[in-house]
Amino acid sequence: MSATLGDVPPPDASVLTVEHLSVRAPTKTILSDISIEFPDKDVTGIIGPSGCGKTTLIRTLNRMIDTSPGLVVEGRVRYRGQDIYDRAVNPVLVRQRIGMVFQRPTVFPLSVFENVAFGLRLQRAEESTVEEVVRRSLVRAGLWNEIGNDLDQPALELSGGQQQRLCIARALAIEPRVLLFDEPTSSLDPIAAQKVEELFAELARDFAVIIVTHNLTQAARVASRTAFLYQGRLVEFAPTEELFERPRERLTQEYITGRFG
Amino acid sequence: MGSAGVQPLPEPAGGEPAVPPSSSASDRSGPSLWAWVGSPLALIPLVLVAAVATVLVVASGLHNFGGTFWGILYNFVPGDPGGSSWGIGAYVVGTALTAGLALLLATALSLALSISIVVYLPTVASRILAILTNLLAGIPSVVYGIWGFVILAPFFGLTLEPSMRDAIGWLPGFGGPASAIGSWGILLAVFLLTIMIIPLTTALMREALRSVPHDLVEAGLALGATRWEVARRVRMRSARLGIWSAILLGFGRAVGESVAVAMVIGAVPRLPESLYSPSTSLASFIFYQLDSAFYYPDLLKFLVEVALVLLLISLAANVLAQRLTRTEIATATTVGAAGGLETQ
Amino acid sequence: MTGPAGAGGPALAPRNELVDSSGRLRRRLLFDRAIGWALPLAFVAVLFPLFDMLYWISTRALPTFTWATLTENQVGTGGGLYPMILGTLVLIALGTALSTGIGLVAGFYTSEYAPAPVARVARIAGNLLAGVPAIVLGYFGYFLLVLYTHWGFTALAGGITLGIFMTPYVYRTADVALSNVPPSQREAALAMGSRRDQYLVRIAFPIALPTILTGIFFAMALGLGEAAPILFTAGFSSTPITSLMQPTGFLSGAVWLFYDFPSTYGSFLGLAFQAAFLSVVIVLALNVAVQLFSDRYRERLRGLYQ
Repeated sequence: MSATLGDVPPPDASVLTVEHLSVRAPTKTILSDISIEFPDKDVTGIIGPSGCGKTTLIRTLNRMIDTSPGLVVEGRVRYRGQDIYDRAVNPVLVRQRIGMVFQRPTVFPLSVFENVAFGLRLQRAEESTVEEVVRRSLVRAGLWNEIGNDLDQPALELSGGQQQRLCIARALAIEPRVLLFDEPTSSLDPIAAQKVEELFAELARDFAVIIVTHNLTQAARVASRTAFLYQGRLVEFAPTEELFERPRERLTQEYITGRFG
Repeated sequence: MGSAGVQPLPEPAGGEPAVPPSSSASDRSGPSLWAWVGSPLALIPLVLVAAVATVLVVASGLHNFGGTFWGILYNFVPGDPGGSSWGIGAYVVGTALTAGLALLLATALSLALSISIVVYLPTVASRILAILTNLLAGIPSVVYGIWGFVILAPFFGLTLEPSMRDAIGWLPGFGGPASAIGSWGILLAVFLLTIMIIPLTTALMREALRSVPHDLVEAGLALGATRWEVARRVRMRSARLGIWSAILLGFGRAVGESVAVAMVIGAVPRLPESLYSPSTSLASFIFYQLDSAFYYPDLLKFLVEVALVLLLISLAANVLAQRLTRTEIATATTVGAAGGLETQ
Repeated sequence: MTGPAGAGGPALAPRNELVDSSGRLRRRLLFDRAIGWALPLAFVAVLFPLFDMLYWISTRALPTFTWATLTENQVGTGGGLYPMILGTLVLIALGTALSTGIGLVAGFYTSEYAPAPVARVARIAGNLLAGVPAIVLGYFGYFLLVLYTHWGFTALAGGITLGIFMTPYVYRTADVALSNVPPSQREAALAMGSRRDQYLVRIAFPIALPTILTGIFFAMALGLGEAAPILFTAGFSSTPITSLMQPTGFLSGAVWLFYDFPSTYGSFLGLAFQAAFLSVVIVLALNVAVQLFSDRYRERLRGLYQ
């Protein structure tokens, strides 16, 4: 087992690769035989009707799936060549490299500053580092101009859109390589959602960004590649333009033209 | 409160209905028998609380209150049964010591227990332990009392207290002389009170920790926190009002417990010299003294005043607890039935 | 098993990102695991008293426990506990009838009909009443039902006081259980044109029943154990009651009255242990009954809460 740990990923390995991934619940299969290569420094969208397994897929990518007992994961998810389901790999480290932002803003009942500093505090970071990283993260999440002058205010008093961007800043602060977004704007009003959407192109300069969304136009706007999932299977994975304009599969065609889902 | 509303929990534990009953539906149905009969009945608890206070005020005649209230508080030794100078200082000290120490222990243990149940233990184990904890809650206080008086007291007097004196006797309160009348005293009462309130505080804290939105827990894990770090920094933080409310309700329960304490505390209205001394408490005092008071009208009035003080303390703790958590509080009363509520 | 990670590629990156190299993470994980083992140890604080108590109460009670304990009157320091058992049953029956009558209907009203501010006040008051110490209720009952009415100590006064003591538990459980019925049930029922009282009785009540019963049984167990309010209202008697207007003995009162006689009256202590044993048996039986019932009942309702 640990012999593989010394092995080091090839330099050209894509940052996150899914190989023959299946997820089974006791009574049914949620995902079957998915293989995707997620490009680095780019935005990838995952679309599909509800219940297609897209949330399950994104939760396997940083082992958040571990928190749902009774699910069996087969196949591999490689982070820079290393299987994150390897027994020697700890999920805590996986989640430090692969950050996640959820559907609803999940700010903690702490100050703005302490929310962003949360991950750093766990790692016992130096106070000066913490301050610097918090500032930088808030700037990158586009919040610094709005709330940078009052970092001590309770985070729960921010607006919904600000809360969601605070969650993004919080994920950025632990300096991951990959950012996962599970329906990041579905609980926000259109204007707040737009502000979050605008961040994605910015973030894609430094991270691999993966977004699950049921909002087709959002995928079309922000993702450069899009995967379409249906009933636990990967139907099509192609550059977004191609997928929306010249889908190869009939199912994709039907879904994007709104015939089901 | 702020975080409680973020997510519709699969099992709302609160007293507020998930959907407030709208009055529009009744327009069509017209007035119902249940509404006619129910509206006065629902106010019975309110009427009763007011009636209890009124009856006690009337019965006491308030002969010691007014200008001399603080006087009687500082008068530590009760006067002669026929006289006018009663003091409840010793009872207040005894109550504060027993209830306070028991609350301290119960809080620590309940936090450990509720975190174990919510975070660490597998469901089956938590369920069995919840059932056993509920059982402990249902055992009559006289049973605790006779167990403490007959079984535990010799162990406390002959083994536990001497070794505590040897080990930590230098701590204030832990080094005093043994009880003169046997092994009954503060320490034994603290022990009984602790295990008597643990089921209540544990169930409340468990509900508070459990009702932290799952989103927040996941967010903590996604930031690379361990289970313990999530428990301490996310769950306990989000549930802090619920935890404080549990502590307050536990305090109310501990202060109000009369019978079990009366059986083991030694019933001596003096200021205690150490934790091993016999003492007394407000609730136990008014319990074991009532039959003698039948013959002494003045003593009876004094006892009623003490009952009034006790009522005020418990109501204050209860009101404060209810202010802290608007919705979760319903479980405070139904907590014994928590074995039922939790598994829904 | 993990596959040839990085096969074919030259070693370039200095270290593996997914393996802890500083040891700091390992310390955090070890701490997490240690806490996971240490915290459950607190269960000793629950399990030891429970089992030690059950063990000693049984050991002290059973050797002298005979059929006569259940059927005979107390005679001097010996005899049986029949009058106390009878009294306990009568008191619990009165208290349960009263508290269920008030609590259930008040719960119906609060959960379904009451305007929001009324419901809020009623709920707060219900919780407040539960917070009144039993001993204080005893004083209340003594003045109101023993002195002011000139009844003297009577089983009726005891039953009423016990009912007051039990009411908030029944009321709050009924309210919570009914309020927790999934709103979809209510909408579906009302949409089909059923009246609110029909919805309450035919839909909500059956769904809430296991929880409500748990609440009632729990209130019974608590009432059974409370010596303080009953002693001051029902008094005590070692002969079986023939009317509700007589004082009556009861099990928890017997424990309190007999527990501290000097050892020369050894059989008094024996009676106290037997009364304690019987109370515990009844409480255990109530617990087991409600557990069995509600488990079976809930199985049928499982789909509702998915």
